Amino acid sequence: MGFIEEVRTFLGDYVITRKEDLIPYMNDASYFTGEMPDAVLLPGSAEDVQRIMRLAYKYEVPVVVKGGGSSLTGSSILKGHGVVISMLRMNRIIDVNLNDKCVIVEPGVRLDDLERFLDGYGHFYPPDPASSRSATVGGSISTNAGGLRGVAYGVTKDWVLGLDVVLADGTLVKFGNRTLKRSAGYDMTALMIGSEGTLGVITKAYLKIWPKPERIARILAFFRTIDDAGKAISEIKEHTIPEMAEFMDKISLDSVPEAITYPDGTNYALIVDASGPVETLQRRKDQIESILKRYAIETWSTTDEKEMNRIYLARKGLYASILRLRKNENEYIVIGDIVVPVSELPSTLKEIEKARDGDGVRSALFGHIGDGNIHANIFADLSDEEAMARVNRFMMDMAMIAVKHGGSVSAEHGIGIEKRKLLIEEMRYNDNMRTLDLMKSIKHLFDPKNILNRGNIFEQDAGSDS
Amino acid sequence: MQDLIAEAGKCINCGFCESVCPTLPAADFVSSKGARGRVDIAKFLYRYDEIDPSPSFYSCVDCYACLSVCPAGVNAGKVSEIGRMILAKNGKAPEIAKMIVEFTMRFRNPLGVRERCADWASGMEFGSMETLFYTGNMYQLMAYLRKFGKIRRIFGHYDESLASFMRRHPSFTVMFRDLYDRDMMERMNRYLRNIVELLRRNGIDFGYLGKEEPYPGTFIYDLGFEREFREYAEYVSEIFRSHGVRRIITIDPHTYEILKYIYPKYVDFEFEVVYYMDLIETVKVPDRYAVHAPCHFSRYFDFNGYVSKVFDVNIEENPTRCCGGPDELLFPEISDRISLRRFEELKSSGLPIVTACPICYANLAKDDSVIDISEVLLRSSGSR
Repeated sequence: MGFIEEVRTFLGDYVITRKEDLIPYMNDASYFTGEMPDAVLLPGSAEDVQRIMRLAYKYEVPVVVKGGGSSLTGSSILKGHGVVISMLRMNRIIDVNLNDKCVIVEPGVRLDDLERFLDGYGHFYPPDPASSRSATVGGSISTNAGGLRGVAYGVTKDWVLGLDVVLADGTLVKFGNRTLKRSAGYDMTALMIGSEGTLGVITKAYLKIWPKPERIARILAFFRTIDDAGKAISEIKEHTIPEMAEFMDKISLDSVPEAITYPDGTNYALIVDASGPVETLQRRKDQIESILKRYAIETWSTTDEKEMNRIYLARKGLYASILRLRKNENEYIVIGDIVVPVSELPSTLKEIEKARDGDGVRSALFGHIGDGNIHANIFADLSDEEAMARVNRFMMDMAMIAVKHGGSVSAEHGIGIEKRKLLIEEMRYNDNMRTLDLMKSIKHLFDPKNILNRGNIFEQDAGSDS
Repeated sequence: MQDLIAEAGKCINCGFCESVCPTLPAADFVSSKGARGRVDIAKFLYRYDEIDPSPSFYSCVDCYACLSVCPAGVNAGKVSEIGRMILAKNGKAPEIAKMIVEFTMRFRNPLGVRERCADWASGMEFGSMETLFYTGNMYQLMAYLRKFGKIRRIFGHYDESLASFMRRHPSFTVMFRDLYDRDMMERMNRYLRNIVELLRRNGIDFGYLGKEEPYPGTFIYDLGFEREFREYAEYVSEIFRSHGVRRIITIDPHTYEILKYIYPKYVDFEFEVVYYMDLIETVKVPDRYAVHAPCHFSRYFDFNGYVSKVFDVNIEENPTRCCGGPDELLFPEISDRISLRRFEELKSSGLPIVTACPICYANLAKDDSVIDISEVLLRSSGSR
């Protein structure tokens, strides 16, 4: 009996092998297409995952773990033969404890479903990637997802207290737990976050939750130059931490005309949130708005829930809205995702704009300016080799601009297969190749047969015995 | 095929559609039976000749929830619809689909029970055919489908071989005539009479075709049989024409949709198509209900806006939630799971549940708290 037959003995119909059923697992939200899996497995419990991994280890079958399939870097597709483990059946919210400020969930819970659930308790789980409608808890942990609330609350790594993980050989281990702090040796939980399915399979997550802000005021500010926008946000951050601080260029603004209109002369806009109890909200809003006014052509603020939501959804849906500006339906959107120290933002943005024009690509720039994260949505015709070469050149240019400014080639999307080369360039530029070696050693220690998400982060042979 | 590639080609694979697709969780998260999976399969159809996309396209319930969240404007429901047309044209539709289409073409009713579908009006007088009261047999058929569902739950699936047998022996449909759920039939008959009463209270005169009334052919179209649908639509149009019909009052969302928006694409269709709710005056009654908005109706009509003028209602964020009905015959287990989940969602409000489509009613009426909207409208109309 082979691997698939053995798995079928306990997983039954949750082993998929019909070709037409396998096709959807060849893609994620990136522009890459993976190999067709030999099978897709849909476990319903940690025990199922353990049994699958024991057999995968025994037969040395490569495994890719997939959540909502919203990866933008190709991290949840197969890069050779193997099987896909879909975690969508493991979608229970197991427990919530407001005293402990903790919710315990299975990895297949979608982030928006979790948000709706916690809303009923007046709480929230802050990481909010734009893909939260489809992204799952497990997938967002695996890519250390960020989002719009990052400036105030940080990213996924700041909100994961513990994880249950099935290792490559099927062993179930528990990293951390529901306590808000611990100092007991290496932080294995942190190691798993952003590991993109290369070290183990997450089967349960203990997440920190937070009371929802009592009140929010949303301020829109419009600028002529990137310098003005950059200086405004730097000054705000000198004095306070906004609840949210988002940046959009003119192309981005033009993709959401129904949500945001802007005055003449605008080239850039900031969306900045102030939060707090009713008693202090006005003061905080005035503090931020007075700084913005010094640099902006115009500012505008609201506390109306519907209006704030309209602006929030427009910004959150920007990746999608920009699709409207596609010249034809062959154009895909390739997303650049870099981060720099906030103080480096104005000069970084100027250099990126220059590189964009020099490389001859069409791209919108926007991002989580409050935490130094810039996205470039690049229009890319996958059928045009020459155009794709320009896109790739711009991706590399943008990444290296970030690195030279003390930043990184990936802020919140991970490495996947898209940025393997960029990761090496970042390490090389910083004379930091030893870190890459350490990462590969860790991978080998966790997964000596290199069966977990092979080819992700590193090239195919990383971590293998060869 | 070009239409299919054009629609699927817009997709960026973000997966938003999958998060709202009712068939995905009902099919145990097998992606090919979810919205994104259907689009993915459409994208790859040209590459793999040997695959059978039929379960994927035919399990779609056409609720268009996917479209309501798609950032790229892809209609995964439309992808399935085109996919089904390609399969039907190439003779690759499931046997059950072929059986339904053949029976409808032959008997002018999917189950061969057209004459029984006029029983509700026994003894009633109708007026001029210039304005036609057209049930499309829809309310009546639900009593039969309820019975079939009960039989299936006892004896297991109706499988492809049974459908093949029935196709070879269509005269066996004679046994369907008394194979209906009596309780459901009584309720459906009452709802039909409610609607007649509502129209009469509003001074509208209309005729009814009685035993001659044909089913509108919705299944034929939904199952992808375009050529047969055109032929059938011509037949139905001619019946209307021969009776001097000028205006047709429809009473369920599916019949309204197919006559108003689909027929004119396939045949000459000079008739005015209206929905009965547009013809009746109501005043607000002091009742509160959980309302299941029919997904097909919500595409053309501000249903929640309408009902909130009649009674207090829990308005939901996403109006396109399926009752599971369209999968009842081909994928009954998926249908059962969707309807149960939807019923539980509505039930959790603690309010009585109102439906406005016979298919929704038949699928969601899992206890006595579910009623057809005509019951409320009658009270609303009567309290003037």
